[in-house]
Amino acid sequence: MTPVGDPSGRRKRLGGSVGERAMLLALAAAAIISILVTVGIVVVLVGEGATFFTEVPLKEFFTGTEWFPVEGKYGVLPLLNASIVIALIAAVVAVPLGLGSAIYLSEYAPERLRRVVKPVLEVLAGMPTIVLGFFALDAVTPALQTVIPGLGLYNALAAGIVVGLLITPLISSLSEDSMRAVPNAMREGAFGLGATRRVVSLKVVVPAALSGIVASIVLALSRAIGETMAVTLAAGTVPNLSWNPLEGMQTITAYIVQVSKGEASRGSLQYESIFAVGLLLFVVTLAINIIAVRIVRKYRTVYQ
Amino acid sequence: MTTLEAPGTPPPPPAAATRPLARKRSRPSEQLFKWLVMGLTAITIAMLIWLISSVVIKGAGSLSWAFLADKPSSNPDKAGFNSALRGSVVLMIITIFFAWPIGVAAALYLEKFATQSAEASERKVRERLGSGVSGVHAGWLRVRLSWLRVRPRVVHLVDVNISNLAAVPSIIYGLLGLAIFVGILGISKSLLAGGLTLAVLILPIIIIAAREALRAVPISIEQGAMALGATRWQAVRSQVFPAALPGILTGTILAMSRAIGETAPLIVVGGIVFGTAVPSLNPLDAGNEALFAMPLQIYFWTDQPQASFQAIAAAGIIVLLATLLVMNLVAIILRNRYSKRW
Repeated sequence: MTPVGDPSGRRKRLGGSVGERAMLLALAAAAIISILVTVGIVVVLVGEGATFFTEVPLKEFFTGTEWFPVEGKYGVLPLLNASIVIALIAAVVAVPLGLGSAIYLSEYAPERLRRVVKPVLEVLAGMPTIVLGFFALDAVTPALQTVIPGLGLYNALAAGIVVGLLITPLISSLSEDSMRAVPNAMREGAFGLGATRRVVSLKVVVPAALSGIVASIVLALSRAIGETMAVTLAAGTVPNLSWNPLEGMQTITAYIVQVSKGEASRGSLQYESIFAVGLLLFVVTLAINIIAVRIVRKYRTVYQ
Repeated sequence: MTTLEAPGTPPPPPAAATRPLARKRSRPSEQLFKWLVMGLTAITIAMLIWLISSVVIKGAGSLSWAFLADKPSSNPDKAGFNSALRGSVVLMIITIFFAWPIGVAAALYLEKFATQSAEASERKVRERLGSGVSGVHAGWLRVRLSWLRVRPRVVHLVDVNISNLAAVPSIIYGLLGLAIFVGILGISKSLLAGGLTLAVLILPIIIIAAREALRAVPISIEQGAMALGATRWQAVRSQVFPAALPGILTGTILAMSRAIGETAPLIVVGGIVFGTAVPSLNPLDAGNEALFAMPLQIYFWTDQPQASFQAIAAAGIIVLLATLLVMNLVAIILRNRYSKRW
């Protein structure tokens, strides 16, 4: 970029080609920092994790069924299992609620109502997760206890339900966006053939928007697995390899919180174990996100 | 769909086509499905109402000026939220101080400079290389040439990277902060370490929001400035950036409202403080101040078995939610007031 003859001296100084290039260099450096963050995450997790795996063999880590750090038992299955169980409960809650809301907002609700309801739903997505944890412990579990006698204070069900609430707006919002992207001509064509609104919704709009819907569910699952405070408070801190949602169980994220709360000294095996499970969490959520992107790219139908 | 129309709820446009058909016979399955999706939406909203009302009912009794002004205590009747409030204020100052300039600069580069005019610059550099320069200058030109060649790929990588970063669970950022800021840089487990961690956490969010705001400014503004003789940098600095600023600020406030509610990364970086200290509001002291924050205090109280601690936890949540509400209102006002239609 050559300097341009500017009438004002101030502009000339700032527009000077050297200063400008330095500015650009600074901007580019800022953009590169975002890559450094990723590199930092990977290096930290792999680095500290590697130290952990020199003491705990990978095989024991992935096949061991007991997570009991005090006795040196580091089998990650109970933690991973708990994360998956709670994410699945959350999906059972969030998929019907999210898809139902999406269909209602996109196909049935009058525009004015939609404009009010959508931001209200998104309030749930912006809710700090500590609030959801409090809600689970203080309101959801007691309510469940009146229906299911003998339910403990810490249980996966309440945790799954509040995490489900958290991800419902994610599903409804993204799904609704892709449903609204389906051109009206397709709806009108189906209506013209005598289809009812229900048939149009379920047989025309939902299939046409399927890639976006599936991707939203997959992304929501990734969010559910990474969720921390609600599951720490509601599902408890006892590792438990079980598929029973009425029992308490400790997720990967809850374990990291538990160790961080106490003073695990730097360099101890426990300190390194949180990086090892963190690495597992990072890989799992990254894989899920990549799958979501792939789904959208592969099955997306572009309508004019 | 039947033709029952509640007053004030006109059917969406496609309904017109179905009306004659639907009149012929009543279809219970149609009504049922409509009630089903409506019911599911209503349940979601009802859960939100249940959440907020249960917190308000539980915590409203403990809410008072004294609660906001008192420091933490092991006695739930005396315990206050003041340290947590101060901590959150300092955290937000530090977070914004680091994340905003870097995030906006990255967005400016990615949106306005990275993808443009590579061909022209490449040609120019090549011409100068061909005109017989030598030594250091030639080496520098060669470096520039190869940078211009790999730049599209680097930019693509940064793009993918930023959207992936935005989806990384927040607790992972806590681990990053613990290892880098506390471990390697040796910052104590303090407000400074927490603020830096939150800055890294919201960096991708700010970049994404700022890019969207920059993209909303029509290219003709920039071209107009450049046609009058401004360089691209001048055009961006004096025309595009000011026009995009309200949008950028809106995105920044929303990113901060995400940061202020984060708990998990702060626990990982700083642990839970049981003390009764009152942190200074001066961000320069943040390196020596214990990590206090609203969500941390709420977590600490929620984790206590006594019922009276649950009540003040609920009161803390009310304060946190009120703060979030104010931040979101400011963002909305900012957007409505200054957003321009081009």
